Amino acid sequence: MESSMVLIKQGAEARVFESKFVDRRSIVKERFSKKYRHPSLDSKLTLKRLNAEARCTTKARRLGVPTPVLYAVDPLLYTLTFEYVEGLSVKDVFLDFGLHGTVEEHMNDIATQIGDAIGKLHDGGLIHGDLTTSNMLIRSGTNQLVLIDFGLSFTSTLPEDKAVDLYVLERALLSMHSSCGNVMDRILAAYRKSSKQWSSTLNKLAQASPSETKGKKAHNGGLSSVNYVLHTLVRTGDGKWVEKMRKLFVPLLF
Amino acid sequence: MKPFDVGGTTLFLALYSDVTNSKELLDLMQAGTLEPEIALLNALLIPDVFPVLAAAHKTLIAKSREALTTRTLHSELVYNYSGSKHISESLKRCGISDSTSYILVARFDASADEVTAIKELIKGVEINLEELEGRANQAQIQKHYKIPASELRISSLSDAITCRIAARDAL
Repeated sequence: MESSMVLIKQGAEARVFESKFVDRRSIVKERFSKKYRHPSLDSKLTLKRLNAEARCTTKARRLGVPTPVLYAVDPLLYTLTFEYVEGLSVKDVFLDFGLHGTVEEHMNDIATQIGDAIGKLHDGGLIHGDLTTSNMLIRSGTNQLVLIDFGLSFTSTLPEDKAVDLYVLERALLSMHSSCGNVMDRILAAYRKSSKQWSSTLNKLAQASPSETKGKKAHNGGLSSVNYVLHTLVRTGDGKWVEKMRKLFVPLLF
Repeated sequence: MKPFDVGGTTLFLALYSDVTNSKELLDLMQAGTLEPEIALLNALLIPDVFPVLAAAHKTLIAKSREALTTRTLHSELVYNYSGSKHISESLKRCGISDSTSYILVARFDASADEVTAIKELIKGVEINLEELEGRANQAQIQKHYKIPASELRISSLSDAITCRIAARDAL
């Protein structure tokens, strides 16, 4: 029934294929089973996460945040089929800025779109859960920002959860794109304009974020490490948390 | 009728305006004596063929697993297009009523004879499928699928419907 599937990415929890849905180019994300889990627990967890990702991806669209169109959900094969978004990831765009110099206008536009999108998600009570520059695409032609991978998303209205979302992004920007200057500041400026509840969120972020607590008692933010690690452990429960712990702790050690 | 390939099966679609015998069609369908079996959709809720094809895709997968929710393959298509889990409400809103005059007709794997039979069955004017967009009732679509204005700033009506069809069973 399905037409040809070409593997384009293999992750810890899912494989991503390029395929065709009806007459359109598509992306198929297949969650696979974990052999170390009890089979009945495994299928329940996998299905729960599959459905959660479908709900969060479409909820983001309702909030006015561009995500790929969802074409199909298959609860038997554990697959989600999405629109194929043509364009580079923000990671690739920023890395290119690092190599060939920053195009200020383009950079500003992207940062503004990121802050605006996260503000809308958060005001709608949706936490992305994995805001990295590789989970953001720039649609070619329109330069529209498209958020992908809502596999770790959940709904919450707590300022702590929103701050952690931003904190993950800040860490990702610092480690990958330090040559791009103060992107985070521009993102936060746009976030302030977009989110009505920006103030309580950014207060929490200030408690966690090393860049905003220069010189003061640097890394004891009550929220940052403990809450984030707990969250990550609970959310993913798979291999992914090791990588996240490393991302989080290594910078804190120095 | 125009053929569309949906994962190896062909779905035939035809759009009719000024249909005068919808009561008769509805009676035949409810009696289960409509020959050939077809799906009759309220075309006011259809801005494009793509969401219909997405619903057809979902229908064919359910059929291949012998997991249809409704009685027939073609009623399943109407049910799936609705993006709702409420069967009778779905068939009422996305199907036709006594007085519906603007109808999208669908049939899986229609033979040449069946295409002819369908043409004779529907008393109306066959029009181009490209008319769908212009004739769709946006307000009714937004209300039925609960599509807020914020979504339409970043999405077409057709994509918004497709997402709801796809995500229904995940909700």
